[in-house]
Amino acid sequence: MSDELVLEMRGIRKEFPGVVANDDVSLDVRPGEVHALLGENGAGKSTLMNILYGLYKPDAGEIRIKGKPVSFGSASDAIQAGIGMVHQHFMLIPVMTVAENVVLGTEPVRDRVLLDETAAERRVADMAKTFKFAVDPGALVQDIGVGQQQRVEIMKALYRNADILILDEPTAVLTPQEALDLFEILRTLRHEGVSIVFITHKLGEVLEIADRITVLRRGKTIETVSREGATEQSLARAMVGRDVLLRVEKPPAEVGDILLEVEDLWVSDDRGIEKVRGVSLEVRSGEIVGIAGVDGNGQTELIEALTGLRRAERGVTRVGGRELHHASTREVLDAGLGHIPEDRQRRGLVLEFSLAENVALHDYGRPPDSKWGWLFPKRLIERARRLIEEFDVRGGGPLTPAGALSGGNQQKIVAAREISRDPRALIAAQPTRGLDVGAIEYLHRRLVTERDEGRAILLVSLELDEILSLSDRILVLYEGEIVGKHSGAASEEQIGFEMVGLKNEAPAA
Amino acid sequence: MSTWSQRLDNPVSDRLRDPASTGYLAIGLGAFAAFLAIPPIEARSPTWPIAVGIVAIALGIWTATRGRRRLGWGAVVGGLLGIGLGILATKSGTSNLELVFDTTLLAQTFGFATPLVFGAIAGMFSERSGVVNIGLEGMMLMGAFWGVYGADKGGSWVVGLLVGMASGGLLALVYAYFAIHLRADQIVGGTAVNFLAYGITGYFFQQFYNGQITGQVSTVPNLHIPGLGNFLEGSIGDLSWLTWASFALVIVAYVVLFKTPIGLRIRACGEHPRAADTVGINVYAIRYACVILSGLLVAVGGVYLSLGPQGNGTFINNMTNGRGFIALAAMIFGNWRPAGAFAAALLFGFSSALALKLQVYSSQASTLFAVLPYVLTLVAVAGVIGRTVAPAADGKPYAKQ
Amino acid sequence: MTEPKKDIVESPEQAASTGTLAARLSLSQRAGGVAVPVATVMLAFLIGGLVVLATGHNPLDAYHDIFDGAGLNWIFHPTTSTQTTAAYNLSQTLLQSATLILTGLAVAFAFRCGMFNIGGQGQYFVGLIVANWLGVSFSGMSPLPHILIAIIGATLAGAAWAGIAGVLKATTGAHEVISTIMLNYIALYTATWLFGDGGPLQNSTQPTVPVSNPIASSAQLPVIWGTIGFQGLDIGFLIAIAALVVFWALINRTTLGYEVRAVGFNPEAAAYGGINVKKNLVRAMAISGAFAGLAGAIDMLGYLYQYGSLDVAVSQVGFIGIAVALLGRNTALGVFLGSLIFGGLIYGTTQGLSSNVIQPELATNLTYIIQGLVVLFIGADILILYVWNSRKRLRRQSPPQAPAKAAVY
Repeated sequence: MSDELVLEMRGIRKEFPGVVANDDVSLDVRPGEVHALLGENGAGKSTLMNILYGLYKPDAGEIRIKGKPVSFGSASDAIQAGIGMVHQHFMLIPVMTVAENVVLGTEPVRDRVLLDETAAERRVADMAKTFKFAVDPGALVQDIGVGQQQRVEIMKALYRNADILILDEPTAVLTPQEALDLFEILRTLRHEGVSIVFITHKLGEVLEIADRITVLRRGKTIETVSREGATEQSLARAMVGRDVLLRVEKPPAEVGDILLEVEDLWVSDDRGIEKVRGVSLEVRSGEIVGIAGVDGNGQTELIEALTGLRRAERGVTRVGGRELHHASTREVLDAGLGHIPEDRQRRGLVLEFSLAENVALHDYGRPPDSKWGWLFPKRLIERARRLIEEFDVRGGGPLTPAGALSGGNQQKIVAAREISRDPRALIAAQPTRGLDVGAIEYLHRRLVTERDEGRAILLVSLELDEILSLSDRILVLYEGEIVGKHSGAASEEQIGFEMVGLKNEAPAA
Repeated sequence: MSTWSQRLDNPVSDRLRDPASTGYLAIGLGAFAAFLAIPPIEARSPTWPIAVGIVAIALGIWTATRGRRRLGWGAVVGGLLGIGLGILATKSGTSNLELVFDTTLLAQTFGFATPLVFGAIAGMFSERSGVVNIGLEGMMLMGAFWGVYGADKGGSWVVGLLVGMASGGLLALVYAYFAIHLRADQIVGGTAVNFLAYGITGYFFQQFYNGQITGQVSTVPNLHIPGLGNFLEGSIGDLSWLTWASFALVIVAYVVLFKTPIGLRIRACGEHPRAADTVGINVYAIRYACVILSGLLVAVGGVYLSLGPQGNGTFINNMTNGRGFIALAAMIFGNWRPAGAFAAALLFGFSSALALKLQVYSSQASTLFAVLPYVLTLVAVAGVIGRTVAPAADGKPYAKQ
Repeated sequence: MTEPKKDIVESPEQAASTGTLAARLSLSQRAGGVAVPVATVMLAFLIGGLVVLATGHNPLDAYHDIFDGAGLNWIFHPTTSTQTTAAYNLSQTLLQSATLILTGLAVAFAFRCGMFNIGGQGQYFVGLIVANWLGVSFSGMSPLPHILIAIIGATLAGAAWAGIAGVLKATTGAHEVISTIMLNYIALYTATWLFGDGGPLQNSTQPTVPVSNPIASSAQLPVIWGTIGFQGLDIGFLIAIAALVVFWALINRTTLGYEVRAVGFNPEAAAYGGINVKKNLVRAMAISGAFAGLAGAIDMLGYLYQYGSLDVAVSQVGFIGIAVALLGRNTALGVFLGSLIFGGLIYGTTQGLSSNVIQPELATNLTYIIQGLVVLFIGADILILYVWNSRKRLRRQSPPQAPAKAAVY
C-alpha cells in the first residue's frame, strides 16, 4: 500500500514554547493528486509543511517520500528530495529579475566563474512556455503583478524538479479571477504528474480544486476525506469542532444621520500613483458599511486619508457634519472619528508601553491625563483598569506591557481605547486579522453593539465573509473607485466579479 | 525608482528627455563653471563662470519643476557654487592658482582616495550581504598600526600588509560574531569595535614603541611609469602600488558582485535573506565571509595610511581620523555600487587634496579647510543628489528558525 | 507562514529582528535588572585584565593602582579636606563623573527616542567654545548673571549643534550616526582652529601657544569640596545631579517624554496617536545636545577655565558617554552609576596613577578597551541572553501560565 503514496507523514509532533503546534499528525498524499490541508489559523498546517520543507525539525514522527524514510536538515535537503514550496509571503527578491529569482542557488555558469544570464533566461522562458505561464524572464519582480509573482514562485519549484508542490494559502493575495487561473495551472501540473499539497482555510476553494482533504484542528488530524460527499458544512464542523454560524445574527439596522461622509476623494501613494480615485461614500448612524475589495485597490490609502495619516489630493471629508480640511490625525480624532487600525502591532499599539500608556495614546496631551505638559500616571492607570474590566481583556493589568498580551486581547484593548472615546464614527480596518475564533466572535458582536448604540461604522476587510456577515450595506472598491453598491441581500458572486473589475457581466443574481 | 538596468534598456531619446539626465547635466555644468577659472583653462574674466553657471541654474530649475526636486535644487546650488568659486578663482592671483591646481593635485586626489576606495568597497561587500559595518574605521586603524608592526618585525612591507590585513580580518571576525551570531545591534556593535580598535592600537603602540616609531620601516613602493608626457606623468606617473590595487579592486568588485553566482547570492542575502535561505543558501556563512572580507579590505586602506607615501612608515594615535566613516559615506553616495563608490571616494579625496593645497593661501586657516571632506560627507548623506536605496535587509539581523 | 504561537515578543532575539533599538534596549533592561550591567562590567574588566597580563604587567596591581588613583580608597579613611591624596583623587573622580553624567544623559535621551547620538563629543566642544567665549567676554559682570549666561549659551549651542543632525534626519532621512560623526569632526577642527595659532579665540598674551584666554573670575563656578585654585569639586557636580532629576522627570512625567518614548518604540503607532514624529526627532536630538553642551559649560566654567588645541585632540568624554548610557540602560540612575565607574577609570588611569605597575598611557588605552568591551557586550545582550535562558529553564519546570480561553490555539 505504501508504495502507492508519494508522501507519507506519520505521528508528527512539534512543540514550541507554550504550545503544541503538531500533535501526532498524519498526512498521506497520492501521486498526481491535489490534496488540501484545511484548518483555521493556528491549526498547525503551516508548521506541518515547514517541517516537510526542512525548515523545522519534528520532535517525533516519520516522513517517507515514495516509500523511503527521510530526514531533512534544511530546505536544500527537501529540495533535493523533490519537494517545492510556494510560501504565502513570497520569497522573491523585488529588485532582481524573474530569471535571477528562479535560478538563485542553482545558477548556470559559464567560463567557470561567471554567471550565465542568457542561459538562465532561456531556461525560464522554455519553462514558461511549457506550463503556459505568461511571464517575462527579464522583468523585475517588483514590476510584475501578484499573480505573476506567484507563478515565478511555482517556477522556482519546478526548476528544481519538484514532484511535490506545497502551496501555502496561495489565494490569499489573488483576485477571484487570478485564483481561477491558478486552479487551471494546478490542473495542468496534476496532469503532468506533480502532486500538490494545498494549504488553505477557505472552504469554497477546497471543494473547487481538491481531490482529497485533510482537516487539522488545534494541532491534530481530525479526518481525511475525499471530495465526493464533503460539504461546506461538514468541513466547517470538522475545522471548528462545532456547528459554525457562518453569519452573525444581528437585528436590522436603525439608520439615522450621516456621521461620516466623503466626497470625491482622491489620494495618491508615496510613489505618486493615484490609489483612491474619486471615492464618495456616506455612513449613517446605526449602520455598518463594509468596503469589499482585494488588497491593494486603495483601501489602505483611503483609511490613511480619512484618519489624517496621509494628505488627500482632492476631496472633502466630513465627520459629524463638520468639514475637515487637510486635518492632522489629532484633529480628525478630536472631530469624533475612531479607528481600529489594520495592523495593531504596528499602528495601534506601542508594544513596550503598558496598557495604561497605550490607552492614553490619543489623549495623553490633555486633562485629565496631563496638564501643562505634566503627566498624571495614576489617572491613566485608573482609566485603563476600567476599560480592561469592561472589555474583559485578559493576560495582564494596567501596567503590563501590551506586547505580553495575546493578539485577541491586544485587539480588545485597541477597540476599548477607540470606543471609550465615544466616537461618532468608527473605522474598523481588518479588525479580526490573525485572531482566533473566540476573539473574532467577540469583536463582531461588539461592533454590532456599537452600531446599535448609534455609531456609524465603516468596516474595511479583505475577508469577504466578514464583510458579508457584518455589513448592512456593501461597497466594492476596485482600483480606487467604488464600482458596486449593495444593500440587503448581496450576491456573493456579483461582489466577487466587481472586486475583479467585471461590472454587470454576470446575470443578475 | 528605475534601476540602472532599466535605464540602459531605455532608448537614448527617452533618456535625454528624462529630467534626471538634465539634472545630472546641470550639476556637471555647475562644476564646469568653476573649472573654467582654474588652470589649465584659467579664464580670467568672471563672465565665463557666470554664464555657464546660469545655464546650470536654469537647467536645475527645469529639472525641479519636472518632478525631480531634490536633484534640481542640488543643481541650482551647484550652479551658484560654481559661479561663486569661479569668481573667487578669477580674483585670485594666477601664481597661487597654479600652485594649487597643478598635476600633483590629481595625484594627491588618487592618494587620498585610496584608503577611501578600500573602505567603500569593503563596506559595500558587507552591506550588500546585509550587515552594516560602522566598524570600518576601527578595522582601518588596526590595519594602520599592525601594518607598521608587521613591516617592522617582519622586515618587509609585504609582511606588514599581510599582518595588517589579518588584524582587520580578526576584528571583523569578532564583529561578525556579535552582529550575525548574537544578532547584536549593528550600529552599537560597530561603535564598540571602533572603541576597541582605538584602545588596542593605542595600548600596543605604547607598549611596543613607547608612542613613537623610530627607525626605518619598510614602506610600500610606488609604481613609476616613465615617459608619459607632462600631464599624465604628474598625475599618475608615480602612484603607490596600493593605489593601483584600489583601481583594480573596483573592477574586480563589480565583476564579482554583478557577474558571478556568488555575487548574486550575496545580494540575495542582503535583499531578502529568508528567500535565499529557502533556496538553500547559507545566509550566515555568506554574511560571515563578507564581513571578514570587508575587514581584510579596509585594513589594506589602513596599511596604505601608515606604510604608503603619506605615512612613510609612521603611526600616530587615531591615524585614520574619520576616514572609515567617510568611506561609508562614499559607499552610500555611490548607491552601494563599485563605480559610484569609486567616484564618490575620488570626490572626497579631491576635497582633502584641495584642502591641503589651499594652505598656500593661509596656513592658519588650513585647519579650517580640513573640514571640507566632512562637510561634503554631510551633504552627501543628506541625499542632496537623488535618493539612494540600500539593500533591503541591510542592518537587520537574520534569525533562522 | 502563520506561526501557531501568541504574537508576543518572546525573547530578545525576536525583539532584535523585529523591534526598534529603543524597544530592544528597554527589553534588555526589564529582563536583566541590575545583574546584567554589573556582570558586563566585571566581564569587561576581566578581559581587560587578561590583556594587561598578556603584556607582562600584573593586572591585580594595575587595577589596585587605578582604584587608588580614582580616590576610591577614600572610603576607608574619609576626610573632608582634600589635602590627602585619596580625598583629592576622589574629588577629581567626581569632577570627571559630572561631565560623564551629562554626556551620558545626552546619549541616553537620544536613545529613548530611538536615535544614536554619537555626536556628544562635538556638542561638548561646541559647549566649551561658547562657554569660553562668553566667559571671557563680559568680564565686568557680577558672577550670577555671568555664569547663567555662559551656561545657557553653551547649552543652547550644544542643542543647536545636535539639532542640525536632527533636522537632517527629519527632513532628508540622513542617518544620525554618520551626520553626528561628521559634525564631531567639524566641531573638532573648528575648535582646534579657534584656539590655535592665529585663531580668533586664541589667548592674547602668548601668541605661540595654541590655548584660549582664561575665563573671567566672575564666570568661575563656586567650589564645594576643595580649593578653587587647585581644581576643587565645583557646583557643576550638583548641576549634573540636577540634570539627572530633570532627565527622569522629562522622560517619565511629561507629555514630551511620553511622545519621545512612543516615537522611540514605535514611530508608526506614535504617528497614529497624533504625535508629530519629525518634530520629536528634532526635539530629542536638541535636548540631547543640550545635555552635552551643558557638560562643556560646567567643565569650562568649573575647572578648565581655558582650553587648547592639544586638549581638543585628546578629549573623549563624548564617546565615553556612550558607554555610560548603554551601561546605565538609558535611565537616570543607571547613567549616574555608570558615570561613576567610568569617571573613576578615567581619572584613576591618568593623573591619579602612580605609575609603578603600568604606565598612564597604557592605562588610558586600557580604559578605552574596557569601554569598547562594555559597549560590545551590551549591544549583544549576551549576558541578557544568558540570564534569560536560565530563567526560561526555571519557568519550564513550573506549570505553564493558564491562557485565557480566547487564546487557545
